[in-house]
Amino acid sequence: MDPRLVSQSFLGAESDGILAGVEVGIVGLCGGGSHLVHQLPHLGVSKFVLADPDIIETRNQNRLLGGTPADVEAGRAKTAIAERVIRSINPDAEITVCQSRWQEAIETLRRCDVIFGCVDSYRERDDLERFCRRFLIPYFDLGMDVHEAPDGYTISGQVVLSSPGGPCLWCLGILNQKRLEQEAGRYGKAGSRPQVVWPNGVLAPLAVGLFVQLVCPWHGMPQLSACCEFDGNRHRVETSRLDNAGELRCSHFPSDELGDLFFARS
Amino acid sequence: MTIVFRARSDLLALVRADLHRPHPFAAERVGFLICRAGRLADGGLVILAASYDPVADENYLDDPSVGAMMGPAAIRGAIQRAYNGGAEDLSIFHVHMHAHHGRTGFSEIDDRESRKFVPDFFNVAPAMPHGAVVLSLDQAVGLCWPSPGAAPVPIDRFASVGAPLKTWERG
Repeated sequence: MDPRLVSQSFLGAESDGILAGVEVGIVGLCGGGSHLVHQLPHLGVSKFVLADPDIIETRNQNRLLGGTPADVEAGRAKTAIAERVIRSINPDAEITVCQSRWQEAIETLRRCDVIFGCVDSYRERDDLERFCRRFLIPYFDLGMDVHEAPDGYTISGQVVLSSPGGPCLWCLGILNQKRLEQEAGRYGKAGSRPQVVWPNGVLAPLAVGLFVQLVCPWHGMPQLSACCEFDGNRHRVETSRLDNAGELRCSHFPSDELGDLFFARS
Repeated sequence: MTIVFRARSDLLALVRADLHRPHPFAAERVGFLICRAGRLADGGLVILAASYDPVADENYLDDPSVGAMMGPAAIRGAIQRAYNGGAEDLSIFHVHMHAHHGRTGFSEIDDRESRKFVPDFFNVAPAMPHGAVVLSLDQAVGLCWPSPGAAPVPIDRFASVGAPLKTWERG
């Protein structure tokens, strides 16, 4: 056992090797993703694919963990900040950096054993989940939102573990046509969406916990699917959406719709 | 060039259960994984198992010199499956099992026989990779023919996608 990880030896005698061997993709390295790149290397995860096209801006500093004023001054890529954070914890980590839209890095992301998605829009969530389903990759979706309410604001968010064969974001009602249409209607006029640091500080560890129970289950009932909803006004996490889904089998992603659509012609 | 092979754990459980059944005379069973594929950035491939076709009892030949010998109907059936009725070609991976835990490998006979029939799949599905996989009770090893005429290459990494998610690299 890696001496740095002896305190988590209850995850299994081979857990250090398992965690070091799993290749993790993280799409989106601002709010949610910046929490993940702190926790995962501490756990012993050593292989990363990091995808984000953006550089840090002043307005990201309220939530991008590890980002500094000097990074803003330097116009540093969010991927570079994430890489620096990971290497500060695990200097031997194998990191593949894709400073691009994830859609331009799909041939790299296909290699990943799991993917965490910390993307801003429902459309991107939909696309990323579709990609993961086609390549049999368990997908952890992290999302948060701040909405105006009659008496102030509501903060909400969710973490979904979407695994091949299990309920998807459509099955769970996280994605629906109305949301996609509303989002498309707002396209170009949204401006800066409200974001704060602490909801991601709840959601990202939940996602990490779901990841660990998937690869190194410490109990007899690891979950293939999960949906944790965060109510940031009542400071609660609930799982009723998946409980209500019961033994739901996904009808949105047939089990034989896999791989490159045009592989034979490429 | 990396070759990755992924399958859902429930599909692999179904395959293992089928391969574990005794046959009237063959010492072991064989079958075919029907797969799709994707390209990787390093020029490699990810192979994705979609379903499983067992070989029917009557399509084995009684050959005590090997664990299982497929008859021509079994091979013909798999070739037809790869052709997929002229629609999108499919990738075919022959599969059998060594009933022990941990790492496994191709026997000399496994290796020899695979090299005889796997290239035939390229006659009907030349754009797809094909190959052969040997399962143990909890792991697997495999060979992939990436293109017509190419020598087989070992599958570098396997993933059994379920809860738990299991991955392993070739030894």
